[in-house]
Amino acid sequence: MKVICDRGALLESLNLVGGVVAARTPKPALQCVKITAAEAQLTLAGTDTEVALRLTSPRVDVQEPGEALVPAEKLRQIVSESQDPTLTIETEGDVTHVVAADSKFKVFGQPVGDFPPIPEIKGEADFEVPAGELHRIIAMTLFATARENSRYAINGVLIERDSNKLTVVATDGHRLAMAKGSCKAKKGEARNAIVPSKALNLLLRLFSDAEQVVMVQIAENQIHFSTEAAVLTSNLVEGNFPPYKDVIPKDGDKKATLATDVFISGVRRAALLTNEESKGVRMAFGKSGLVLSSRAPEMGEAEVRVELADYSGDELEIGFNPGYLLDALKVVDANDVLLEMKAANKPGVLRSGSNFLYVVMPVNLQ
Amino acid sequence: MGAPRWILHLDMDAFFAAVEQRDKPALRGLPVLIGHDGPRGVVATASYEARPYGCHSAQPMSIAKRRCPQAVVLPVDGQRYREVSQQMFAILDEFSPVVEPLSIDEAFLDLTGTQRSLGEPAEVARRLKDRIQSELKLTASIGLAPNKFLAKMGSDMNKPDGLVIINPQDIDRVLLPLPVSRLWGIGRVSAAHLEEMGIRTVGDLRQLSIERLQRYFGSDAERYYNLSRGIDERPVVPDQEAKSIGHEQTFPADLGDADDVRRVLFDQVQQVAYRLRKHGMMAKGVSVKIRFGDFQTISRSTTLHAATDLTTELWQAAREMFDRWPFQPVRLIGVTAERLNTGGESLELFPDPDRARQRKLDQLADHINEKFGKQTIRRGGADRTHGQR
Repeated sequence: MKVICDRGALLESLNLVGGVVAARTPKPALQCVKITAAEAQLTLAGTDTEVALRLTSPRVDVQEPGEALVPAEKLRQIVSESQDPTLTIETEGDVTHVVAADSKFKVFGQPVGDFPPIPEIKGEADFEVPAGELHRIIAMTLFATARENSRYAINGVLIERDSNKLTVVATDGHRLAMAKGSCKAKKGEARNAIVPSKALNLLLRLFSDAEQVVMVQIAENQIHFSTEAAVLTSNLVEGNFPPYKDVIPKDGDKKATLATDVFISGVRRAALLTNEESKGVRMAFGKSGLVLSSRAPEMGEAEVRVELADYSGDELEIGFNPGYLLDALKVVDANDVLLEMKAANKPGVLRSGSNFLYVVMPVNLQ
Repeated sequence: MGAPRWILHLDMDAFFAAVEQRDKPALRGLPVLIGHDGPRGVVATASYEARPYGCHSAQPMSIAKRRCPQAVVLPVDGQRYREVSQQMFAILDEFSPVVEPLSIDEAFLDLTGTQRSLGEPAEVARRLKDRIQSELKLTASIGLAPNKFLAKMGSDMNKPDGLVIINPQDIDRVLLPLPVSRLWGIGRVSAAHLEEMGIRTVGDLRQLSIERLQRYFGSDAERYYNLSRGIDERPVVPDQEAKSIGHEQTFPADLGDADDVRRVLFDQVQQVAYRLRKHGMMAKGVSVKIRFGDFQTISRSTTLHAATDLTTELWQAAREMFDRWPFQPVRLIGVTAERLNTGGESLELFPDPDRARQRKLDQLADHINEKFGKQTIRRGGADRTHGQR
């Protein structure tokens, strides 16, 4: 194999594939990127056996087709540190040479046959969706996934597709984010999938063009996202997603409308005087506005007044984890948010338009 | 000012020496000096038997030995005393949610407003003394009074094994005849200075106007003015550094059966969990300490998925850590709940019915044990073979 690559484009591709490649694994082949040169195209592939990414690197000149398994991180470092606009990659057996004007690297790789097969898409996609829309609904929910939870399959994001409607839900058991979007159905039957957060984090980095069309196929235990240049495949999280519709309250009779940036600023300031032992911020809502207060033992106290654009219902004092509120407020792209509450021990609901909803459980105030 | 305050001061009697005499029966009744036995050594504790000879703590060891040549001199066994101290504080924690440690063997407890849950303060003080006696086989002296200053004075008035209660109406009777040097913060120099002015007792001091006090003591005047009237508003400040609740036990002989050790560990977990709940704390981490017969000591900790105060979840974490070790005879076992918070966690969106059931079980057990005495009921099933339910 011999191929001349644009260094910048190659580096970008290697950075993406590097996001999949397992950092620590007893199998050397899994630390490698598979490079394939064929028909004027250079394809890079990486996998940790759960998530696999294959993408075509643009701006290459294939002089001799072939394939090789190269340690991904080392290759990325070499390409990153090089100075030249182009690099020549040449392989003989398991050895890869990276040659530039003033440098020559010889890197020992692994036999190509050791690389696990990258799943192929069979059949038609379930739906297609513009990259920008998919990016939006995933970014609005992904942050709410659990890191570890033994009871429910909430270490991933639930993607539900019903005809032309997409619903994405994530929760860690204390808060729940839900975003809605639209897609173009290619198949009739509705399907759901729980996708691990690692795959979706990678997916978010994959799109550069919001108009680009992403084809999505949900198979028995895998999901495929594909564009012209890339295919991301992920195993699905097994198990049951909790009955999320049951915990979205509909009876919040205390409704506060707040300017998003003002709310963010208030919560951030009150959060300064919370700590590991007292995570909650006390929020007193009333017709005259919102008063946030916090106290950290041995550190001090804070009180912040925030103007409400509107408030209806009785006065209410409720405690929230400020981090949970900020996570959601950061992804809201509207000027105002609506917060609906019922009581100090009942969940609050943050809404922005009809496409984003966030349920957050309160903290017990003592 | 609300309900009258009740502050308890507890001071163990000749703590280091008493622990040694308890553990080494041959030393009982003998004068014992604890401290480094060298030219620069200092007495950390003198047993009550050594005190009539003029031995006391903070004295150079050479002088103490000259005064009492027959005394048995032992080095300070810090680790052992800390273990016993932990056991003592574990008992104190059951008697008040607000415990301020002053040293390894001394603490303030705020009993204000605990009448309903614990009983009358005087009765609580007696029970506390009994518990220390029966559980640790050691004696403590206790002062019970409306504030810290008087409580500490009280614990010192009838040592050893004393219990002095200073009721509000007794304050003047107790306080006025005392020499001024007994007031907190009045050292030998100030006392001598006062004596020159004819002021020997607290009663004499109380005659002085605040203006005169200011001339002698400057910014401290107000404090002396108040102390001479038995006024001290300092709150009992719980140990802010106490970021863990633990329990450990050294066995007199190695325990050679893994199930026996598991049973002890399970008892410890139940006590630690009870103390967590009692203080409204949740633990995010659990650690287990094991010392084997060959004195190799290991300590392992784990992070829980979510902070908890449930016995079953703490036990599961502790047991897993213990079982990961190939068993060999154990000399010491201990468990600690760590990374505590006061339950500032958000509530559950999808409450676990099993957790709710466990919480009820714990509440019931706590209730019964509080009503009928510690460990009236315990959970069974610490054995590995039977699993845990």
